[in-house]
Amino acid sequence: MIRSLNTLLVVVSVVGLVAVYALKSQAEKTAVEISALETTVARKTEFLSTLRADWAYLNQPSTLEPIIVRHAAELGLAPSSAEQFTSLESIPMRPPSEPNSAALEALLVSLEAGIDPTASPTIGAAQ
Amino acid sequence: MTLAATQAQIALEGASKVRGALTRNRIRLAIVVGCVVFAILGGRLVQLAMTAAEEKFPGAVQSALTASRPALIDRNGLEMAIDLQAPSLYAEPRNIIDLDEAVEKLAQALPELGRDFLRERLDGDEGFVWLKRELSPAQEDAILRLGIPGVDFVTETKRYYPGGPVAAHVLGAVDVDNVGIAGLERYIDTDQVAVLQELGFARDRALAPIRLSIDLRVQNAMHSELTDALERYQAIAAAGVMMDIRTGEILALASLPDFDPNNPASALAPVEGRTDARINRISAGTFELGSTFKTITMAAALDAGAISITDRFDARYPVHFGRYAIDDFHGQHRVLSVPEIYKYSSNIGIIKVEQTLGRDNYRAFLSRLGLDGAPLIELPERKRANVPERFSEIVAATAAFGHGLSVTPLQLVTAYSAIANGGLFVPPTLMARTEEEARAQSRRVLRPETSDLMRYLLRLNGIEGTGKRTSEIAEGFRIGGKTGTAEKVINGRYSSDVTLAVFASVFPMDAPRYAMVILVDEPQRENAQSGKTAAWNAGEVSGRIIRRVGPLLGVVPDLDPGLDEALVPVVLR
Repeated sequence: MIRSLNTLLVVVSVVGLVAVYALKSQAEKTAVEISALETTVARKTEFLSTLRADWAYLNQPSTLEPIIVRHAAELGLAPSSAEQFTSLESIPMRPPSEPNSAALEALLVSLEAGIDPTASPTIGAAQ
Repeated sequence: MTLAATQAQIALEGASKVRGALTRNRIRLAIVVGCVVFAILGGRLVQLAMTAAEEKFPGAVQSALTASRPALIDRNGLEMAIDLQAPSLYAEPRNIIDLDEAVEKLAQALPELGRDFLRERLDGDEGFVWLKRELSPAQEDAILRLGIPGVDFVTETKRYYPGGPVAAHVLGAVDVDNVGIAGLERYIDTDQVAVLQELGFARDRALAPIRLSIDLRVQNAMHSELTDALERYQAIAAAGVMMDIRTGEILALASLPDFDPNNPASALAPVEGRTDARINRISAGTFELGSTFKTITMAAALDAGAISITDRFDARYPVHFGRYAIDDFHGQHRVLSVPEIYKYSSNIGIIKVEQTLGRDNYRAFLSRLGLDGAPLIELPERKRANVPERFSEIVAATAAFGHGLSVTPLQLVTAYSAIANGGLFVPPTLMARTEEEARAQSRRVLRPETSDLMRYLLRLNGIEGTGKRTSEIAEGFRIGGKTGTAEKVINGRYSSDVTLAVFASVFPMDAPRYAMVILVDEPQRENAQSGKTAAWNAGEVSGRIIRRVGPLLGVVPDLDPGLDEALVPVVLR
């Protein structure tokens, strides 16, 4: 009985030893991975903060203003004036107009002559 | 052996048998002890496995220099102050093995440092020397690839203000340890970050950004127009503040000359020998604000019912106090109606109005409008207004047109807001605020009818009075405002040459939304044809700012004269 117990204990010890060592090396590997990832995250965060600073700087009105001033002449940029603003209500309705009978006549004549008005771009110019 | 002994069958155990039993017992004891020990060890192992281990692996050291601050963003989400994390290069000279190699390699990676500098720095037995602060990530990569022993990086957090000086006085600055020393940076330290740091949270990189009330577009427009004004009128200083009159939010606050928050030492750089020239004139400077106070006097008298808008006052002769006589600048010298007193900015008329109201009532009204004590704002840079506790007859008379008492421009813009927004005093703030929150903090200081009358008077002055130039520049934005050209005290006497020009305005007058105060300190004539009073400088600057920011703020220019006619009180139509 003692012998079998001893054998069992020896086997358990060996298995335990191997398992603990395997676990330990696994943990060490994971720790190295974690610290590598953490370094990457930190570096990416750093880089991100630099990019964010760049973005913020480039979006500042104080950065954009000189660029606009420099290109104002070429792009035809100018401050808006009061006349450029209006509302829908203040736009007058289209004045009522007489039907353009001469143009209608011309269209009918050309249709009778067999000209397809959609094919000919000059039909609008004739009006 | 005796017979009796044999009969009794006394069994005597042999010595070896006794020893054998004893050994067996000992073995059993040893097994039990062994099992107990193993059980204890096993239990302890389980216990250890259950408790979470302290996560301290080599290489995972958090930088101690990374004390982060919340980002400050404007009302539209544009960053005004952010944390920049930059690697800084340091060396441990005692760990450097090959000095020549290290110097050679570093000099190639960072040519701007120079070989002599590097050799001097790296040679020796020190434990720590800085080589270069705030490198770019690309440089960091290059140096890491060199693999020099004894050279390493530490991540440092630096506060960065992408706008430079544009919002300097709002933001303030931080010191080398990232602690706020001025402006809102200081405010948030006393308010929030300090608490967080004590609790150990401030190392977290994900602090929620703080949304300010500032609109960077408006701020930039104000800053650039004030910069232009400094040069155009050769003034020693210019300052401005714009406020949303419904919520009390400050949209823009600028004071020139200013400084670059990225370089806090520039705040103390002297201007013409004066080191205090770069103060925030809006909240930390008190001034005699001149005729802009007539609006307040008028509102006080109308609200108390002491005068009515149809009254007339005799402004033919100067008012005498002992040997002093107070006369008008734009002298009409006739009987003036109330709107005329305001329009022509009559000192005589406004003194009569004030005397009708009574000086104690007037003094009480100034307190109600928040014109004494320090201005209500988050900034630590505040100065108490200098208003006498009790008015004598002459002090009350001069106070009626803004002399003999000095207040901060911030208090003036708050007072104008209350006058124009229907009579509610809303404390100003630099933090984003909703209209509901503002209403909860506001208190009524004027009747709505008084506010309507004041809007008429302000707009009248904007069309026909001293605000005319401003209205012409910013056509269609329905500006109402009042100028003030205050004489400054030079060697104890009021000087007519050295003045402070102020323009306090509200727009659009038919549905008032924004109040603004612009200050130009000691302006000169722009050219020989132009004048020197506030309408010519502070007034014009206001017009240029409103023309630029009006459309941005959603104010549509409207040239319809009907809007102005609707402001005229029924009794005057």
